[in-house]
Amino acid sequence: MNGRGSLMARGVELSFPVRGGGTLPVLGGIDLAVPGGGIVALIGPNGCGKSTLLRVAAGLLTPSAGVMALDGAPIPGPDPRIGLVFQEPRLLPWRSAAANITYPLELAGWSAERQRERLEQLTELVDIDRSVVVNRPAELSGGTRQRVALARALALEPEVLLLDEPFSALDALSRERFDLELLHLWERAATTILLVTHSIAEAIFVADRIVVMSARPGRIVADIAVPLSRPRSIADLDEGVVSRTAREVRRHLGEAGDPSDEASLAAAS
Amino acid sequence: MRQSSIVPILAALAGFLLLWQAVVVISGFPPFILPAPIAVLNRFVTAWADGTIGPHLATTLLEVTLGFAVGAGFALIAGYALARSAFVERLLSPYLVAAQATPILALAPLIALWFGPGLVGKVVICALIVFFPVAIATMVGIRSVDARLLELGRSLRATRRQILTTLEIPAALPSILGGIRVGVTLAVVGAIVGEWAGAERGLGVLINLARGSLFDIPLMFATLLLISFVGIALYLAVVLVERRVVGAR
Repeated sequence: MNGRGSLMARGVELSFPVRGGGTLPVLGGIDLAVPGGGIVALIGPNGCGKSTLLRVAAGLLTPSAGVMALDGAPIPGPDPRIGLVFQEPRLLPWRSAAANITYPLELAGWSAERQRERLEQLTELVDIDRSVVVNRPAELSGGTRQRVALARALALEPEVLLLDEPFSALDALSRERFDLELLHLWERAATTILLVTHSIAEAIFVADRIVVMSARPGRIVADIAVPLSRPRSIADLDEGVVSRTAREVRRHLGEAGDPSDEASLAAAS
Repeated sequence: MRQSSIVPILAALAGFLLLWQAVVVISGFPPFILPAPIAVLNRFVTAWADGTIGPHLATTLLEVTLGFAVGAGFALIAGYALARSAFVERLLSPYLVAAQATPILALAPLIALWFGPGLVGKVVICALIVFFPVAIATMVGIRSVDARLLELGRSLRATRRQILTTLEIPAALPSILGGIRVGVTLAVVGAIVGEWAGAERGLGVLINLARGSLFDIPLMFATLLLISFVGIALYLAVVLVERRVVGAR
């Protein structure tokens, strides 16, 4: 079942040192397999370690115990096969949109010509208007900024895309559209996607499986398959299976401790 | 520069000259106390034409340029180290503040004694006076670099050097240039103070000559105005660089 870009967490634990000595356990033994080319959504109460787990997968944090592996090999640090999109676009304000997109290529030492070619492909892939790429982030809309961040994460053709609540700053309607575009993108770019989200509706619409995490220290309390076929459309959100799935996720979230995100609960039911 | 921005500048200059002329007319001070603006301008033109000012100006400009380059250069390195190492900060900051709290006027005679009346002493004084504002601005600028951008750089496997050139320097540049604005005007002060403490040539020397042996007060005023113009020109040069580099953000 595991193609290229499969992620595997085995017994991943992580603790942060606390001021005045001692440690704060954040992740309490995570076992998780994301098959290559699959989409898994991580959902859980605030502060449950979802983002931390994503940073372990990105090679930015080293687990205190256990192992996080990409295609069967442990991830020792940041890896070009893994692209990361943060909650906020995190663009360099002094660079144009184009120079932000090609930033990873520049760091990797690509020639100016290759960078230009890749930029062309990327703007097309994430659907950015060619005329706005000369603008700086401050001159772009919130949605375009997040497209730029997405294009930057895809620049080095990663096998895995890690998304940390990437559309949470957008309004509900834009968010639906972005989720749909993300699926189109996934069909074309053929990456594995691990998505951290607060929205049950988003998780159901995008993912093959929804993994529910408990309050800190984060553990996986449920792994729920989404019984929706692909390709999906917004209309699928009206299906009965969606509300059944949402109810199941909500039940596990209730057990997990924190009934968070009422807005998206309402949206999903 | 657009016309709308140059008009108020010229208006302020005209207002200043008119006020000056009015004080001269109303008070009736003799020219050796307060010469009229036109007399100062005349004196400047003749002194420039007969070659009195040129060599002094060249000397001062050289001192300012070298002193600023040396002081700002060390300050950039020190500011970076102060920002990134708690050890360096604990080690250096008491001396830094102590050096800044000691008036440069009090240090100048000592430096003149050690380095002699030549160029080196003036460069040292300029560098000392420039160092503090640029080092502090660099430290503040580097410290204020968004940690989230640094994490982005790390996730893209940026090397130490790439982090410095593509993230830290561009992010800290507005703050650093703010320090350089202050530093470049202080460099002029440093050069004049250094020349007063002992020198053979320079605008500070020319002021002393005009006040003392020559007793040429219009020349003294002309020199004073020239010094302030040098300061203004250097300041504007930094502002122009700043507009080019960070203006479009």
